[in-house]
Amino acid sequence: MELTREEEEILKGKRGEAAAKALEVIVKVGEALGADRLIPIRHAHVSGVSYGNIGEAGVKFMEDLASRGARFSVPTTVNPIGYDPEYPPEFNVDEHYIRGQSRILRALKAMGAQLTLTCVPYETSAFRSEILPRGSHVAWGESSAVVYANSFLGLRTNREGGPLALLAAIAGRTYYYGLHTDEGRIPRVEYRVEAQRSLDEVEAAILGALIGEQHEGPEPPALHARLEGRLAMRELSASLGTTGPHGMVYVHGLTPEPLPRGWRPEERVEIGREELESRLARLSPPAPGDVDVYFTGCPHMTYDDLRRLASLLKDVERVRGEFIVAIPREAYIRALGDGTASLLYSRGVKLARSTCLIVSPYRVRGLRVVTNSYKAYFYLSRRGAKVYLARLDDMVKMASGAW
Amino acid sequence: MRATYKGRVIVAGEASGEAVVVNEISFYGEVDPERGTLIDGRSIAGKVLVARRSRGSTVGSYVILALKYNGVEPAAILMKRAEPIVVAGAVLSGIPLVDMLPDEFFKKVRDGVQVEVKSDGSVSVEVR
Repeated sequence: MELTREEEEILKGKRGEAAAKALEVIVKVGEALGADRLIPIRHAHVSGVSYGNIGEAGVKFMEDLASRGARFSVPTTVNPIGYDPEYPPEFNVDEHYIRGQSRILRALKAMGAQLTLTCVPYETSAFRSEILPRGSHVAWGESSAVVYANSFLGLRTNREGGPLALLAAIAGRTYYYGLHTDEGRIPRVEYRVEAQRSLDEVEAAILGALIGEQHEGPEPPALHARLEGRLAMRELSASLGTTGPHGMVYVHGLTPEPLPRGWRPEERVEIGREELESRLARLSPPAPGDVDVYFTGCPHMTYDDLRRLASLLKDVERVRGEFIVAIPREAYIRALGDGTASLLYSRGVKLARSTCLIVSPYRVRGLRVVTNSYKAYFYLSRRGAKVYLARLDDMVKMASGAW
Repeated sequence: MRATYKGRVIVAGEASGEAVVVNEISFYGEVDPERGTLIDGRSIAGKVLVARRSRGSTVGSYVILALKYNGVEPAAILMKRAEPIVVAGAVLSGIPLVDMLPDEFFKKVRDGVQVEVKSDGSVSVEVR
């Protein structure tokens, strides 16, 4: 790999032992993948922040770096933690867990992280205030955010593993490879969905799974489909990142960067309406009486989603069963300020701040869960829950007895 | 009959062990980092994990790190295409990783057969 003089100096310890070690790993990973140089990054997002996700090995990794004086050299946001800090018991954590989680947060803070504690960094003011121009190189963990960043924000990042995103934040660089390069972002295969109308979040999520499962990279898939809005874009991103190794989907009309002049797909794949519907039918929920938990917010819901949920629940007396909504703390503060949070509370909704059911040890084994997220379906099923899919409006109807 | 295949070395190392074959894997959610077992109960500790491709969470790198920390890491990982998540995990924990093995290898390799991995990326396996 060709390194600049400054990079050579960092490796020799000019910016300290931790930066040298961070860059050394990045170079090693880049070389293994065939990258011939590094690229400076403007922002990093670190995944693997929940104690339950990374365990002692992960805590030691972070503490070791922090104690050697590691500092993030670019603005760095971080993923959710393993419980809602204002109500840990709900999330089935004990003293030991909370101690482990605190050590992680201390190490991240010492390195200079912005403790956003959310998987939708692009919805935080910390990120928005950076005003990154299109085409900016970043190093993001969190598979759903990676797909969203590349596909809808015009940012460039690979699917960085949690520790690599952290090391890149310290080094201020990552290896120039894959989705950082112009050629690595040009699709070869195009998927097309015949649909009369825009796809809602659950249809978009199923579509993401169908593509994620069958698409063979390394080029990103291209997609012709209309999506209902940002919620559908997030759910598509999340399911694509969950079901395959892909970090981007080029959605015609939504992906901000142009394709090369005269671009034509080498291969076209039609995804039939029936294919979407039969997968959806297999995951359709049981009678409302048989549902234990309704869960939405994977990826985290935004303040706008909370407002929408509040308007859906306006005329409902109280939801039946647990209705859990995972959100960033920042969205909570806003919802608190304008009465949205109190309306939701009065209807029996539980707001899970800075965490979610996936990254916390929330007990789901044996429970029947309805969610609008394919990603949540994927991970909670693997933890022994019986999980079904329904769009948010339908979840509200089910929970309010209007089904 | 023994067949030898050649892949790309990502993390060089010599290893041998029984093959544990999956089509795709999300290290987070589908591997228990404390026990070194897959979600179906099979152990990958000290075995050669063969996964055509990976999927899922970027926390996967930490799960690989944890497997090593807990002493239940696979002896080697063999893939069709390794993505950054797995590469970072393998580099940080020093687990031999070879990718870009031919399709033929993934067709022929069977669960439980003895696999030998050399540091030049050649993989030999008992095939029928």
